[in-house]
Amino acid sequence: MSKRLLSALIAALALTFAVAACGSSSNSNSSSGGASSPLVGAGSTLVAPLMSKWQSDFASKSEITVTYGAIGSGGGIDQITSRTVDFGASDAPLTPEQFEEANQEGEVEQIPWALSGTVPAYNVKGAPSNLKLNGEVLAGIYLGGITSWNDPAIAKLNPGASLPSTKITPVYRSDGSGDTYAFTNYLSTVSPEFKSKVGTSTQVKFPTGVGAEKNDGVAAAIGQTDGAIGYVGLAHALSNELSMPLVENSAGNFPEPGVESVEAAADAIGKIGPNNEISLADLPSSAKGAYPISTYTYVIVPLQSEKAEEMKKFITYAIGPAGQSYGPDLDFAPLPKQVVAADKKAIAKIGS
Amino acid sequence: MEAGALSNPVLRARPNLTDRIGDPLLRGLSGLAAALAVVVIAGIAYEVIHLAWPAITKFGLGFVTTNDWNPVSKRFGAAPFLYGTVVTSFIAILFAAPLSIAISIYLTELAPKRIRRPVATLIDMLAAIPTVILGLWGILVLGPFMRDTIEPALKSVLVFLPIFSGDPSAFGYLTAALILAIMATPIITSVTREVFETVPGDLKEASYALGATRWEMVRQVVLPYSRPGIVGATILGLGRAIGEAIAVAQVIGGAYLINASLFHTGGTLAAQIASQFQNSAGLQKASLAYLGLILLIFAVIVNVIARIIVQRGKIKDVDVTQTEAAAL
Repeated sequence: MSKRLLSALIAALALTFAVAACGSSSNSNSSSGGASSPLVGAGSTLVAPLMSKWQSDFASKSEITVTYGAIGSGGGIDQITSRTVDFGASDAPLTPEQFEEANQEGEVEQIPWALSGTVPAYNVKGAPSNLKLNGEVLAGIYLGGITSWNDPAIAKLNPGASLPSTKITPVYRSDGSGDTYAFTNYLSTVSPEFKSKVGTSTQVKFPTGVGAEKNDGVAAAIGQTDGAIGYVGLAHALSNELSMPLVENSAGNFPEPGVESVEAAADAIGKIGPNNEISLADLPSSAKGAYPISTYTYVIVPLQSEKAEEMKKFITYAIGPAGQSYGPDLDFAPLPKQVVAADKKAIAKIGS
Repeated sequence: MEAGALSNPVLRARPNLTDRIGDPLLRGLSGLAAALAVVVIAGIAYEVIHLAWPAITKFGLGFVTTNDWNPVSKRFGAAPFLYGTVVTSFIAILFAAPLSIAISIYLTELAPKRIRRPVATLIDMLAAIPTVILGLWGILVLGPFMRDTIEPALKSVLVFLPIFSGDPSAFGYLTAALILAIMATPIITSVTREVFETVPGDLKEASYALGATRWEMVRQVVLPYSRPGIVGATILGLGRAIGEAIAVAQVIGGAYLINASLFHTGGTLAAQIASQFQNSAGLQKASLAYLGLILLIFAVIVNVIARIIVQRGKIKDVDVTQTEAAAL
């Protein structure tokens, strides 16, 4: 009996050493590089559905596997800053401080690689469907200045519509989110007051309203509250058939939120900022069908790394026709030509 | 036969050998296990402090009293969440403790024997509901019920109290506190039930013999005898309420300011960490770790207080039973 126990113990110890040995040998494998080791990325949840298509298609075309952890944009920035992954993905472009931190271990490059939108959704009994709103009104609602659905500012945009006096409950994301970035970036662009009081970030402090977790939490909170308005990712809003208000663009039109209107917004913006940062909030009045709350999502990759060649191949694939072709089904708009051109220049810098 | 086996030198030598290895081995392994627990706790504390260090050096102790959480201006403070944690867990225990004690009294003293087991099992199963499911139920059912029924009623009766001012809301401190109460109830119930069952039968019978009613017996024998156990159970429930993150994050409404009204949205330490840690970087991440450190210290303080109370109760109880024994 005790002899058996003893041998079991010895076996357990031996197993522990064996496992430890396996662990260390696989570590040495990954550090030596080679085509067989996968690219590891982490970050944005928005890009995750597109990423899973890219992963399988890219693996079959290039024999390079990509592992991706959809841990959130902030987490992606954090991980690429500490270089625990090969690339990070973020819905918000890096701030100057974040760049400074990320560049400490060698310069990083930020490349826009997918394009989508953030849409408001509402639940108001007695209000018309396709209610018309604009940026000023949305900013007023989220600042707490506009508190009821029959506010004159809303009535003015919806002449003839009967509006209930229901109290407005703004709903926001309490966790960090690329949708919050896109939404606050838009509101800060149209409203100086919003910019100074709240600002633009993946997480902000709204002076009023109710916070909910993730897209589903926001959708549930809207669904359970008469008079609620919130914002969710385009794909989430379309696939769950939420009732979406129409938001006025710079041309004075109220385009339907969707892949086409997001694409129109991206086409209208020719200016690509430093570090390939592109804001789609400030649309020209010539862009008639452009959706006003469109947003790019970015990949962040170190210029020098052991996997630079593989990284180049992967990003080239993602922004190319094959990678972008998966977009529309998942409510991503294709990248416009000028952005693809800028991306190619940025990709050329990797590893050189 | 037996004597023959013992006299065999080979058979006698073997137990001696394993005994010689066995004793130090047992001491070594169990000592290692005990040391591991200490190492894990020390490791967690070190890691949390290490992660929080940038925020600790930047904000200092003022962090605890700063009533703000603004990721844009990078001004962070723990006050809104410390307040939310204290308020929600206090209200939760206010509901859960009396409820649990009542359930336990019913199950140990009053309920017919054949329904005791099923009811107790059902209450234990309440603890097995995943918290995220409870949170969803909070969003879809409890929250709207609070907003449409309970909160307007509270408001109409107790409108002069600032804690019942403002607009009723499905999301807020009160909804979160009730969700926590539901989570704490099975824990407190199962411990108090066990404690009530240990009350010696002769004490109860002595009480009945003196002409006590069932209520008097419970009040004069069961409750005093079980006091330290009840306190311990309540503290266990409180620990659950203080540490719960996911369900609270789902229903509390993620606001970053202290608000007197219980209907208002707010935040707790654990919920804020769960909600924002994954998607944060830099100073915000450090500040969230700082919140974690405060949560850790808070939990330790609650535990120490509980131990002191239980210890005191025990000494008193020992005295009582000793004098009783002496009298007998």
